[in-house]
Amino acid sequence: MKTLRLMTVGGVIAYRALFNWTTPGMFVGTLLVGPLFQLLFFAYLGRQLQVADDRFYIVGNAVLTASLACVFGGTMAVANERRFGTLGHVLLSPRSRTAIFWGRVLPYAGNGLLIAVVTLSVGAALLGLRIPLDAVPGLFLAMAAGSLACGFFGLTLGALGLRFRDVWVVSNVSVALLLLLTGVNVPAGNLPGWMVTVGHYLPITHAAEAARRLAAGDGLAAAAPALGQELLVGAGYAVAAVVLLKIFEVESRRRASLDAL
Amino acid sequence: MNVLRLLVVGTLLHIKQISRSPFEIAITLIVPIVQATLAVYLFRAGGEQHRLLEAAVGAGVMGVWSSVLFGSGGAIQGQRWMGTLEMIMLAPRRPVLVILPITIATGLTGIYALLATLVWGRFLYGIRLDFAHPAAFVVASVVCVIALGMFGLLLAATFVLMRNANALANTLEYPVWLVSGMLVPITVLPSWTGPIAAILPTTWGARALREATSGGPVWPSVGICLGISLLCLALGGLALTHVERRARAAATLALA
Repeated sequence: MKTLRLMTVGGVIAYRALFNWTTPGMFVGTLLVGPLFQLLFFAYLGRQLQVADDRFYIVGNAVLTASLACVFGGTMAVANERRFGTLGHVLLSPRSRTAIFWGRVLPYAGNGLLIAVVTLSVGAALLGLRIPLDAVPGLFLAMAAGSLACGFFGLTLGALGLRFRDVWVVSNVSVALLLLLTGVNVPAGNLPGWMVTVGHYLPITHAAEAARRLAAGDGLAAAAPALGQELLVGAGYAVAAVVLLKIFEVESRRRASLDAL
Repeated sequence: MNVLRLLVVGTLLHIKQISRSPFEIAITLIVPIVQATLAVYLFRAGGEQHRLLEAAVGAGVMGVWSSVLFGSGGAIQGQRWMGTLEMIMLAPRRPVLVILPITIATGLTGIYALLATLVWGRFLYGIRLDFAHPAAFVVASVVCVIALGMFGLLLAATFVLMRNANALANTLEYPVWLVSGMLVPITVLPSWTGPIAAILPTTWGARALREATSGGPVWPSVGICLGISLLCLALGGLALTHVERRARAAATLALA
């Protein structure tokens, strides 16, 4: 119970302190309006090129929009501690590092889920996409799985912030690469094999696939394998983040570079 | 002549400054290439192989806009954070003449995106650089970059008045890519976007480059792009003078 409290309360406090985009203007502009235009951009491009139908772009991009809050949030969760000079205090805590940092992912994943739901709802309304009502719970599940996997992916990138000086480069490039490699905007069949392979190990790829199946009315059973794969990818990044944080923490202590920017 | 020298030296100074930032270099180096790759695969998937050069140019212009939007939008705030805003505002010149080189520098830095996407397309995807009007393409590129720099001045002057300017900058990237027809033709968009597109210099800059690439009357688009940008320069200059006077009177120049 104490660990659960540490994860949830600690996560929420860290979210309020470290996430740069919590003011209403920043939240709406950066996390709601920006992603919606991203969806519209690719939906209209897809329409013009006739690569795939509206459902492909609306559902795929809605799932992908969670990545913005999750990837940058995960990075901020570690990098901003360092920037504000509070990382040492966190690492001095006698509590489990794993619980502390995994807990930080939860608010970002929730945030990502909210963005994905809003983007899908508004995008579908604007472009006239009808989603079967019985697909809604499954879609919610797919977007939650994608957000969680993306949150752990962001935390892994944040861990790199303990080693590299400018971790924002990594976050920005990663977000751009997710556009290309997750098959959200270019169908996997039109991408080179190596890009598809890399995409399988990235968050969102499987969640987007599951969400598309659900939106097409295929049912939860058809989407379950992809959902499972997404959760597996998320679990992989959760472990990777903790391992990297441990390695870089030990190295930072040894080199006395913990707070060096 | 002194004004021209000030603009040239100022622009060079700020280009050097931007080019020393590992963040700027990495972002300008990698993100446009990812976008160009995405555009190439999308156009190929849509059976539009003959338009790959157009796609590469479009992705490049998107990179120029991103550079101007984030660079110019944060130009004054950046000087403020570095503690140099008071010094440049103390210069015995109009504010527009000391801020314009910063915004033009962001546009010129952004031209890397255009070059990078073309080189990337040529060597990796074998896209032949068969421009319909090669000379006009070069002229249109230079005009487009300078024009966006002037538009950037208006953004810089406007953004400084807003507490959440970063939010607006983050919001404006995709809408301008979309409405300006950089990759998506304006004709497939809802008709109400037409008037918005018509007053944006990005629309005419992108159109000039597209016409120079695949054929069409380049010079009217170049002219309109330059005309709108000069209007932006005038408005930006007025706004900057207003902002400077207000900040001096309220003693808030250095306050974020």
